[in-house]
Amino acid sequence: MFWQMVKGAVLRQGRQLLFVALTVALGVSLATAMLNVMFDVGDKVNQELKAFGANITVTSKNASILKDIYGLDNASAPKEYLAESDIGKLKTIFWTNNIVAFSPHLAGNLKLDGGSEVAVSGTWFDHYMKLPTGEEFSTGEQYLKSWWQVEGAWPKETEPDSVLVGKTLAQKLNVKPGDSISYVKKDGTKAVFRIAGLVSGGGEEDDQIVAQLPAVQQALGLEGKIDSVNVSAMTTPENELARRAAANPKSLSLKEYEIWYCTSYVSSIAFQIEEVIANSVARPVRQIAESEGRILDKTQLLMLLITVLSLLSATMGVSNLVSANIMERSKELGLLKAIGATDRSVVILVLTEIFMAGLIGGVAGYVAGLGFAQIIGHAVFGSSIAINMLVIPILIVLLILMLLLGSLPAIRSLLGLHPAIVLHGR
Amino acid sequence: MLMNLQRIKMYLTMVTNALLRRKLRMFIALLAVAIGATIISGMITVYKEVPEQMGREFRAYGANLLLLPAGGSTTIQEEKLQSVYQKLQGHEIVGSAPFLYERLKINESPILVGGTDFDMVKKVSPYWQINGAMPSGSGKELLLGYELAEKFQVKPGERIILALGDGSWESPFTVSGIVRTGGKEEQFAYMDLKQMQEIVSKPGVISMAQVSVVASAAELDAFTRQMAAEEPSIHPQTVKQIASSEQTVLGKLQALVLLVTVVVLLLTLVCVGTTMTEVVSERRREIGLKKALGADNRNIAAEFFGESCMLGLLGGILGTVCGYLFAQAVGTNVFGRSLQVSVPIAVMSVVLSIAVTAIATMLPVRTAVKVEPAIVMRGE
Repeated sequence: MFWQMVKGAVLRQGRQLLFVALTVALGVSLATAMLNVMFDVGDKVNQELKAFGANITVTSKNASILKDIYGLDNASAPKEYLAESDIGKLKTIFWTNNIVAFSPHLAGNLKLDGGSEVAVSGTWFDHYMKLPTGEEFSTGEQYLKSWWQVEGAWPKETEPDSVLVGKTLAQKLNVKPGDSISYVKKDGTKAVFRIAGLVSGGGEEDDQIVAQLPAVQQALGLEGKIDSVNVSAMTTPENELARRAAANPKSLSLKEYEIWYCTSYVSSIAFQIEEVIANSVARPVRQIAESEGRILDKTQLLMLLITVLSLLSATMGVSNLVSANIMERSKELGLLKAIGATDRSVVILVLTEIFMAGLIGGVAGYVAGLGFAQIIGHAVFGSSIAINMLVIPILIVLLILMLLLGSLPAIRSLLGLHPAIVLHGR
Repeated sequence: MLMNLQRIKMYLTMVTNALLRRKLRMFIALLAVAIGATIISGMITVYKEVPEQMGREFRAYGANLLLLPAGGSTTIQEEKLQSVYQKLQGHEIVGSAPFLYERLKINESPILVGGTDFDMVKKVSPYWQINGAMPSGSGKELLLGYELAEKFQVKPGERIILALGDGSWESPFTVSGIVRTGGKEEQFAYMDLKQMQEIVSKPGVISMAQVSVVASAAELDAFTRQMAAEEPSIHPQTVKQIASSEQTVLGKLQALVLLVTVVVLLLTLVCVGTTMTEVVSERRREIGLKKALGADNRNIAAEFFGESCMLGLLGGILGTVCGYLFAQAVGTNVFGRSLQVSVPIAVMSVVLSIAVTAIATMLPVRTAVKVEPAIVMRGE
């Protein structure tokens, strides 16, 4: 009998229940979108913050010992280098997916044909590599130095002699994109750099020639060797544990060590890089790493507050509409009471109908909300938002809250009325 | 005249009574309007404040403007900086750290030592990790870069000998702390600017200054051009890595808040619209009665208009207050400071609430007044 009445209501009141389902769908889709965006905003902003450049530098452990002990200058001291062949191992560490980009560097001075000496830096611009794991990966300065302004074009890997010249240096040498610069290699032979573009970045690159790594290695007679690697990694904001570990990983208990090692703190990523690259020291660039954590925390908090407000408004809005909907049915409820239904059975009947409609609306809203989250993701960050399962239980609680808040007070006020008056139409 | 006054009084009585009689209904409608106004005033305040407040957070990345000597000179007179700061007025200067670099000898090896104002360094470069403490400025204290400390094997609290390059002066200094940044700073030593200027006998002179100022990349560029024209002895250089990256990230954040605001606002608009439609359709019988008593369509529309304006006003004020509270909550919790109250936003949110409510009411009213009194009264 009960279900027959519910079925009857659904058929007769199809339009109105559809309306409830629609409102619920609207509210739930908003909540789904907001919650998904909120849970993912940390990752997304973290990615954006990669624009600030590398947050870890890897250098050779003994890079400057001879220079320091014997006071030898760069040119005469036998220096220790990292091996270029080790770089791929960066993508084999535990947090490999958090490593967004990296680029090797080899710096030195070259004699130009005119006799003057200039600083050169060899690096990758857009380097395609096959990883030891079999995956493919593209990385280089183009991915790291988002603030570099290049007038002309970036050098292409297919043209090994193409270079970028710093703006200040270009003025001194009086060259422009398309020109060539001839220089003397370490072994005395001559070679030519072709200028692809001029770079201005506000740092030391303004006074340098930035060339392809193989060309610089040949010019300096240092085949297969590099000075340093700049790594850009996504990290978790540092906490007390991370700071203690950074000071000395051995001071941690076994359990703490495991937590630290398996969390993407900048210090643990640096530690893991040191493990895979022979004779290396990986150091967090504090300027970038520390600030990232701070900005991330703030953004997440901001997003949380905005989400709470929009959830609140969605809940209130939907319950508003649901209760407006129920008020419309005063006559029907009056009739039910007049023919002897108890208050309780009326409440149960109406709630069942509303919840059925709400459930259908909720499911539709969830699907729409996922689409909505993707639109926000693409519009703002240019990438899709990860779907978080944690959202579903929150949504269920919200849905129940919306429906109860919307229906109970309205039903109660209707039940308080006298059937005769309601039926009479006043 | 008297007649007119009475009519206005009657009009107001009808409007207020209509609102008061249907308490629950009107409460619901009021709530819908108030939520809308909360979103408008709260979210728009936050949207407007995001670049400024987040921009301040981004100052954690350090200086975004360098002041370098220009015109052939290698130093800047300290007093000239004041005029630069004046030109920057309108932008909040988080900090400005002057540096005087000079090659001195520590334990007989030549080291680049920077004299600076440590209180300012704390503000400009909050990311410096100090093991120990920064020099206080009173005693003979030195802050060593991490690489130097490793090389000399010194710990905070130990003493080292600082000497002029030509050996004409030397004195023991206490290492107050060791700084780690992961950057070039680790190869330098730092001491108080005043002491440094005395030792190298260059009073009132600095090599450069790092400035951290709350301004966008475009504003900094404009400032750079202005400086080039007005103060040729100082060359300001924007730190592109910091300034332009900040711009990108801030832009995205603001777009996110804007998008969310629009979405939530749309939802609330739908809410207000449907609620008002219901309110009107419920009262078709009343409209019929009034028409039967001789009211014409204009009278009825005017009455609904008055009601909706009053509803919009009340809801708008209520919502604006709530929105203000929300903005304050965001300000204190996220940015650690209270946000400015913006009168235009408050006025706009109240006016918008009234307008939206009025429009949402008048649309259904237009069809409702067309009903035949007889049909409605009979109860169809």
